[in-house]
Amino acid sequence: MPAVQFRNIVKHYGNLAVIENLDLDIGDGEFVVLLGPSGCGKTTLLNLLAGLIEVDGGAISIDGRDVTDLDPKDRGLAMVFQSYALYPTKTVRGNLAFGLSARNISRDESERRIDWAARLLRIDHLLDRKPAQLSGGQRQRVAIGRALVKQVGVCLYDEPLSNLDAKLRTEMRMEIKKLHDQLRNTVVYVTHDQVEAMTMATRIAVMDKGVIQQFSSPAEIYDEPENLFVADFVGSPSMNMLDCEIGDANGSITAVDSVDKLVFDLDGYSWRRPVEPGRQVKVGFRAEHFQAGGDASSAGKHVRFERPVEYFEKHGPDAIAFLSLPQKAIAVRVDSRIADSYRSGQPLLTALPLEKINVFDASSGRRL
Amino acid sequence: MSQPSAALDRVAVAPRARPRRRALRPSRIAAFAFLCVAALLFCVPLYVVVVTSFKSMDEIRLGRTFDLPHVWTLDAWTSAWGQACSGLSCGGVSVGFVNSMWILIPSLVLSIAFAMVTGYAASLWRVKWANGFLFALFICSFVPFQIIMYPLIRATAVLSVYGTTFGVALIHVVLSMPILTLIFRNYFMSIPQELIAAAMIDSGSFWRIFFEIVLPMSGNILIVALILMVTGVWNDFLVGLTFGAQGAQPMTVILNNIALTTTGGNNYATDMAAALMTAAPPLIIYLLLGKFFVQGVTAGAIKG
Amino acid sequence: MTIRWSRLAPQLALSPSVAVTVFVFLGGICWTIYLSFTASRRFPDYTLVGFRQYVRLFKDAAWIVSLENAVIFAIGSLASIAFGFILAALIDKEARGEAVFRTVFLYPLAISLIVTGLIWRWLFNPDLGVENVFHSIGWNWVHFNWLADPSTVMYGIILASVWQSTGFFMALMLSGLKSINVEIWRAAKLDGVPFWRLYLEVVIPMMKLTFLTCLILLCIGVVKAYDIIVAMTNAGPGDASYLPGYFVINAYWQKSNLGYAAAGATIMLLMTFALFFPLALFAAVRRRTEA
Repeated sequence: MPAVQFRNIVKHYGNLAVIENLDLDIGDGEFVVLLGPSGCGKTTLLNLLAGLIEVDGGAISIDGRDVTDLDPKDRGLAMVFQSYALYPTKTVRGNLAFGLSARNISRDESERRIDWAARLLRIDHLLDRKPAQLSGGQRQRVAIGRALVKQVGVCLYDEPLSNLDAKLRTEMRMEIKKLHDQLRNTVVYVTHDQVEAMTMATRIAVMDKGVIQQFSSPAEIYDEPENLFVADFVGSPSMNMLDCEIGDANGSITAVDSVDKLVFDLDGYSWRRPVEPGRQVKVGFRAEHFQAGGDASSAGKHVRFERPVEYFEKHGPDAIAFLSLPQKAIAVRVDSRIADSYRSGQPLLTALPLEKINVFDASSGRRL
Repeated sequence: MSQPSAALDRVAVAPRARPRRRALRPSRIAAFAFLCVAALLFCVPLYVVVVTSFKSMDEIRLGRTFDLPHVWTLDAWTSAWGQACSGLSCGGVSVGFVNSMWILIPSLVLSIAFAMVTGYAASLWRVKWANGFLFALFICSFVPFQIIMYPLIRATAVLSVYGTTFGVALIHVVLSMPILTLIFRNYFMSIPQELIAAAMIDSGSFWRIFFEIVLPMSGNILIVALILMVTGVWNDFLVGLTFGAQGAQPMTVILNNIALTTTGGNNYATDMAAALMTAAPPLIIYLLLGKFFVQGVTAGAIKG
Repeated sequence: MTIRWSRLAPQLALSPSVAVTVFVFLGGICWTIYLSFTASRRFPDYTLVGFRQYVRLFKDAAWIVSLENAVIFAIGSLASIAFGFILAALIDKEARGEAVFRTVFLYPLAISLIVTGLIWRWLFNPDLGVENVFHSIGWNWVHFNWLADPSTVMYGIILASVWQSTGFFMALMLSGLKSINVEIWRAAKLDGVPFWRLYLEVVIPMMKLTFLTCLILLCIGVVKAYDIIVAMTNAGPGDASYLPGYFVINAYWQKSNLGYAAAGATIMLLMTFALFFPLALFAAVRRRTEA
């Protein structure tokens, strides 16, 4: 039975439909990340689940229980906020205890849980401090502790790491993931940071304009994006896209670049939907799937091309070469040695393995 | 409109970064001199009143208004406190002082509790008609007292509190409700939404969240509201005159009567001493808690 | 939907204030307006007489004087806005003694208007006040006995009221000035713009809303003014210093004419709303643009 179920959810703000007829099933013990650009409705969805705002239509259930008309506190969930939202006048202990005392949990039990959570999060030495006396990372731990002590099945995170600096963020990412592995509760986690999504989620729901664009494992989201939006949003740099037309050369299907006449042999491509010659498509491929320079000549079923480099963006261990194609520049990840030995304008030989290619319908944007 | 308390906090905490002191330019000296002269002029009336209150009537008749007393005497103060005649009763302003206290204390407690809970419910809880209601309060805060005077007189008569200090206090509670509610509401709106969301998930209880989360965070705004009410109620004349019959008149009304009573010759020193005693409580609070007073009067003026 | 306590609790908590708003404010206003169309004297008499009270009111010389005085009072009190702005601008730019100056300029606001009136009546006292001091040093041309002369009495009241309210407007202006971005001053300094041009062309236009607020508060204050008149002149000499707020109270208590007072109060309400309207409009426009 799914732990969290959204059915036909509708949410309007005035005349503006934020979410229109959304369905989502989240399994028990899953770590689901709602990923999307700001304004995509992910936080709205989370707040609807928490009961902080009301649905205008549809139903939400948690553990098979319809919670649509329940108050937040009665939904059996806990939440960690972006700003941590610690009660400034209460000590850490008081922050952890507030949610418990409201639930008629005995003093012994409550102390036991606070003790457990504090030790788990290594904040046991901070219990008598006020939030103002804590560092950002410590506040974050307290906020998570406040959710943990409730020992409820579903825990919500609303961009919890966005106020931390890069180093702490990496650290807390790992810790939240470890906590989930240990406790196996259901987590719904909202973020716009794809690294967080990729590293922590069991499944990612990519959202845009109030619609779930794709809901699958991180690997699938990355390797087989369901549509152009997902392909573009996930991954850095974004997936390269070339406008092509489906052709039929000697019985095998190809995609031909509309300007450059670059030919992609699509015989080995696993089609989701039938295509016919003449269809306008977009062919997508990721920067890191290329082989470049000397490596490019060796491999087997590849499409090869040699184009001048516009410029290099050096990242340290590797670099991104922007090759100028007649249609647009494409990004190619190359070894930093190549970046050092080539000059701008010099042509670079690259090879792209054909099995890594994605084909999308140009008009609907859907994967073909 | 703006968030006055927040704005002023910022001002108080982080004064504008100023460059190191440079040589004084003439324009700055002129500005400073102008401020000093203006400040002196502002102090003149108070100075005159203070020195007059310590003079004897004979010395006042000499007309040296700005001179310090040759002989300092407390006669005027003692008579103003205990003997000065207001109409036919001669009990000094002490009668009014006691009455004002009896008006002040219940009106403080009731109005602040009332307005705070109203502001809390209207701003932090989901009540569909809350914004319409707050707009109505905004309008009410401008309504002149005269337009509801007669209905209020009748209402207090029906409740048989007309002419009692408690009746006067009740009227203050009613009249201050709109503005105080808006002040509290403005403050509560500045509490981060996520904090309230966390409390809703943790507890969800109206009174628990109020007493355990919101009230402990409201120290500053409570002081602001308190000062606003203390000065407003203490300095009030019209409500006290209208609803406090003989025996329930606040200090300002008694003072005005003393100043108008000329039986047995007007003793100006006594009038001045009585005026100073009436002015003292809010003035002392102002000097002690000036920052909050500024917040109070500006918040009381700009709201909505 | 079932009744939810979380919905009910805040509405229950709001109900007393809603009751006060509806019954006291709304109900009270309606009652008084209704009374203004009746023949009520000392006690309510619900015989409707149409606009007779209003017609009488506008034939009453004292009422007309009170309206004229309100205009004079408002115009004269503009000095406190101007003075308040100048003081605020100087204090804002002068680091030294900000707290002291603010305290000095604002203290009259903490004092009851009855006390203020008493103090100024004393200063205006012809025999023992300021005039006497000037005369004693030979400056016999100084006339400071303003309160005794119908043609100058309003100026006396204005002076006292400016003394009392300048600090208030200064405080409003200060908070308006503080909200102006620091970088504007630096930019002006870098550009070498003279400070008076900066104030005239940048700062004052930026503080439009503050000025409007001050102006409206001042006008509403003038309409309501009562205490200061009682303490200084009791509307005298003659009827020379009547103001609408005083007139209405007087009509009820001294003239024992409820219907008449109600008509005056209704006009006061209309004046207040006419003044209040632009402010509400501004606030509404702001809310719309912020949303």
